[in-house]
Formats: sequence, C-alpha cells, structure tokens
Amino acid sequence: MSLFEKYAPLQARLDVVKKVGTDPFGVKFDDILSPTRGRIGNREIVLAGTNNYLGLTFDEDCMAAAKKAIDDHGTGTTGSRIANGTYEEHTDLEKAIADHMGMPSCIVFSTGYQTNLAAISGLAGDKDVIFMDADAHACIIDGTRLTGASTIRFRHNNPEDLDKRLRRQGEIEGGHALVVIEGMYSMFGDIAPIDEFLDVTHKHGGYLFIDEAHSYGVFGPTGCGIAEEQGVLDKVDFISSTFSKSLASIGGFCASIHPEFEITRKVMRPYMFTASPTPSNVSAARAAVDKIKSGGHLRANLKTRAFQLHKGLSELGYDLCADPSPVIAARRPNEAIAAMEWNWLLQNGVYVNLAVPPGTPQSSSLLRISLSAAHSEDDVNQIITKFKDLKEVSPNLMAEMMKSMQAAE
Amino acid sequence: MSEPSRDEIYEKICELLKPYNPQNRPIKMSSGIMSDLEVDSTAVFDIIMGLEDHYDISIPMEMVSDIKTVGELTTAIMGLTAS
Repeated sequence: MSLFEKYAPLQARLDVVKKVGTDPFGVKFDDILSPTRGRIGNREIVLAGTNNYLGLTFDEDCMAAAKKAIDDHGTGTTGSRIANGTYEEHTDLEKAIADHMGMPSCIVFSTGYQTNLAAISGLAGDKDVIFMDADAHACIIDGTRLTGASTIRFRHNNPEDLDKRLRRQGEIEGGHALVVIEGMYSMFGDIAPIDEFLDVTHKHGGYLFIDEAHSYGVFGPTGCGIAEEQGVLDKVDFISSTFSKSLASIGGFCASIHPEFEITRKVMRPYMFTASPTPSNVSAARAAVDKIKSGGHLRANLKTRAFQLHKGLSELGYDLCADPSPVIAARRPNEAIAAMEWNWLLQNGVYVNLAVPPGTPQSSSLLRISLSAAHSEDDVNQIITKFKDLKEVSPNLMAEMMKSMQAAE
Repeated sequence: MSEPSRDEIYEKICELLKPYNPQNRPIKMSSGIMSDLEVDSTAVFDIIMGLEDHYDISIPMEMVSDIKTVGELTTAIMGLTAS
C-alpha cells in the first residue's frame, strides 16, 4: 500500500469530474489580458470568478508603485521581519491601513491565509475559548488549530445561537471568548449582521474578530468593509483582510482598536517564521488603499452589476444562495451536473468557479460568480446570456455526459 | 434532563446521521463516521451542533478531531452529559 493510497477516493472523484472535461481546479490561462479578460488557446474568456472586486490588478498607479518598489528595494525580502528586518514599505502600509480603519494598530502579513492563522493563534491562549461561525473559511479553522484554546462552532450568521452557546459555556475561568466571523462569506456572498454580533459578544465580555477578506474595499462609505457599512467599525476589536482581492496584490492585514495588539508580533508563528511580503506586493497594496478610500464610484458600479446579474439569473430561474452582492452563487443539483455546466461555460467563454463539498456550506455544489467593478453592463449581459444558453443545452449535455461516462466504464 | 443511556445517544446519532446517509449504509458503533459512512467534515460539524443543542452540552472542535467512530462519539457524549 503506497503513501498515496489514502487519496484513492479523492482521485476517483476527481477522475469523474475530469471525464466531463477540463480539471476545474487546475485551469491554466495562457494570458491574462485585463481584470475581466483572459485567454485560453485562441479563446478570449470573460473572467467572472477572480475575486478582483475593484478591478485594480491592472490599475496604472498600482502597477507603477509595484515597479518602483522593485527598482528601489529589489524583488524579495529574503526573510522574516523578526530575523531580517522591516522595510519602509511595510510600516508605510501598516500606517495607511490603520489610519483608514481609524485603529491604533495594524500588522501586515505575507498572505491572507497566514493573516488569520497568525492573528487567531496569537490572540487565543490555552484558557480562552474561540466561538467560530459554522461557515468560517479554512484559514480561520486552521488558525484555531494552532491554539491551545477550545473552539466551539455556532450556527451560521445567527447571533442568537452564538448567545446560547456563550451562555452554555458560562464563565471562562482565567480566559476570554474570542468570537470569529466574516463580513461577507465567500461561497454564498451572504453578509453578517455585525451590529448584532457585537452586542452579543460584548454582552458576554468577549472580543469580536471579523475577517473582511471579501468585503474590505467593497462595502462602506470609504471601503472599510461591512462593519463600516453598518456603522459599527469603531467598536470591532479586530478586523482582518487580504490583499489578494480588492487590494489587487498578495498579503493580508489585521487591525485592532486595542493598541496592545502590537505585542502579538512577538508570538505569532506565521508572522515570525515566514518571509515578509515583498516590496512590490506591499507597494501595490499601498497604492490600492488610496484607490479604495476614494473608490465610491467603483463600489457603486460593482453594486449595480451585482443587482443586474442577480436579477438576470433569478429571472432565468436559477436558485441563488443569497441577496445581491459581489459574490453570486447558483446552487446546482449535484457535483457532476455542476462540473458539466462549469465546463460548458468555460468552453463558451465564461470563467466562473466550481465550488463543491466539503468547501461549501450545506454540502452544496455551486457555480460561483465573483463580480468586478471593471465589469461593464455588456459583460454582465454576456454572462446572463451564457447562463440562459446553458439552461437550454443542459438536458443534451446531461445525456452526452451519461453516455461518455458509461463508455468510459 | 436525566442522563441519557448509551442506547439513547446511539439512536439520536443515527437520527442525525440519516440525512447524510442516503445510501442507508448500516450504522454500527464501529462505523467510521467519515471513513465508512462517508460523511464529509462540514456535515460532521453540523451533526455535532445538533447533538450539542439536544443535550445542552458543548463539544469542542478539538475533541471532535479525536472522534472517528459512532461508538467514540457516543462515549464522548456520555462523558459530557454525566452529572
């Protein structure tokens, strides 16, 4: 029995998906032409699954900042900030985000995944108890695993259920409750009632940590996220986010209303024992922060496109998972049908995400779209048209799929 | 609520597992929840929340990581519901 034998069931599942067409988890673009266009072979593809919410990846100022940083300080940092020092770009970005959020402390990390891994493991000690939304992202789950803290899940987006579980837990001897939620959830695009979570968390003497990876830059009058949109930004204990979505780079941050958060730089292993983000990544993100602050027009277009797409797909009879938001997910009957439809969309010029269990809530199979402020009305009409065509060809596709799978057996 | 018996807990687990077991695989105490019944990790945690609410207990995630079989889950709940 080989080391890889344990992956045989997974391999079998992947083989089924591949029989339908392209490997949906290994798409290779031959070129990326703009925030909304890619190329595979000689086909131009509308990109509708990139999380490039503000479309800043090709912004001239962001690109110029990244290029200048390479000219000034080179291509890499070659080590961690603890062991190898901090660059001016790191502190500039931390100050810019702290100012933007109106918080005294901000720490920058090398990826979004590492941000939550680091911050959660730095904040929760052995005697603390973490209360985590049931639909929390993998990096939050993995962050809790790096702590010695007990972790309790509560029902998704349900402050009353959190209240019940906090009451059930009772007094936490020698520790505190750290409640971890997200602003907008990445799979369904549904939004947390942060104001209600704040009330419940603080009533029990706990701290609220919000991952705004999919909402920083996208919501709020100045783009600080859902907490700002709901008017409670100044009460949230910790807010994390990533640079790889609206900030059009790679990295992440965690900001806090508690100045004492700074001490965690000396204990967070995913901060201390990994290379710091490169000058170019940090500088692109720094330029994007300014774009976000003045990006009301980008957010307005993104919102308009979200309503346009949501209405169009609803009218076609698609079962959508949440109200209009930059993430719009259509629930499909099962993984095989979703994979088949995902392939047809790619073959016909639209790239969306195929999302399947266990990475999805309620074991759903989804065609997930993430919109961009760079999408035009025509782009969204094109996506809607392809989904309309898909509905029409789906029965034939299904028959073909069954035939080809039977032949393969 | 009086302390539930091992059989009662087993019955409750079977009831909660039912929607995730469409092929009606036999559920034994020795059944691996993920390995034999092929319940995915997200669904396991949904079942755990159902058990927490039914018995008014907290089952921390780190405890769930060590539970592989229906029997181990039954034993864990017996421990948590014991006064």
